[in-house]
Amino acid sequence: MKTMKRWCAVLSVWMVWGMMVAAQQPTRQDEFVPIDQLPPQEQLAAAPLLIGAYAFVLVVLFLYVYSVARRLTNVQRELERLDTSIKQGGRA
Amino acid sequence: MPKWFTPVAIMCGAMLALSPLVIASADYESTMGLVQKIFYYHMPSAWIFLIAAVVCGVASIRYLVTGDPRHDRTALAAGELLVVFGLLTLVTGPLWARKAWGTFWIWDARTTSSLVSWMIGCAYLILRRYGGPGSEKLAAALALFGMANVPFIYISVNYWRTIHPATSVVPKLPFTMGFPLWFCVITFVLLFMVLLKLRVRVEEQQARVDTLYLSLDER
Repeated sequence: MKTMKRWCAVLSVWMVWGMMVAAQQPTRQDEFVPIDQLPPQEQLAAAPLLIGAYAFVLVVLFLYVYSVARRLTNVQRELERLDTSIKQGGRA
Repeated sequence: MPKWFTPVAIMCGAMLALSPLVIASADYESTMGLVQKIFYYHMPSAWIFLIAAVVCGVASIRYLVTGDPRHDRTALAAGELLVVFGLLTLVTGPLWARKAWGTFWIWDARTTSSLVSWMIGCAYLILRRYGGPGSEKLAAALALFGMANVPFIYISVNYWRTIHPATSVVPKLPFTMGFPLWFCVITFVLLFMVLLKLRVRVEEQQARVDTLYLSLDER
């Protein structure tokens, strides 16, 4: 129940944030500025976005494979323990 | 594990390790330049996201009709993969859009329907985890809504006004861009098969553990 409440809180915060993002309007453009005249901090480089995207994909996939492998190892260990207990005729 | 599992897992690992080299050799797109290369992981992730939703939906229908727990296990495994690959799609897409569109997110038909489908996947997993006994059938019904959303996501870019690239982009790709894309698609399909099989295996072993506990209780 506590976990359920925590999930509901997280989802509520997320939905409020989503509504705030949806309500944002882009500012009107008053003039066109060539990209090479922009200050360096406003010129958006592609490399960090590209590296970020690939790193995110590889990290998430690695973590998921690790999580599945760990769950499989745990359940197989429990299965072996139960098999041994049953063969010995006792309760696990 | 079935005979195909080990060779497919090895091939998938090798292709995933090679994929950055294949992508690096692809031509730059004329207007987007370097950032367009996110597409080679974004689009296969998106396809697997949709395939997982269909697998989850079909397995759920079979479970509702036959009551066979094997189908329920497949649906649960596919539901988890739907959320994982959906997350990859919904993060890599905005990273590309920030450069290509000038904003991380727009509320158009494709992005919004993809987000809704991912949220249905999350709701499915939460229901399975915290729904208690009997939640499998309720979750299976929810999975049908997730699957029904798939054709809508796919055709949305062709029928609604949006700046998201249309589905016609893929068949028109030149070889220098098409080869890396299909290489990554095959890699992700193999990855999906391997992960689905592993995840189903976890559920099968868990079912055996539950059966053994029941038999111990009956003694």
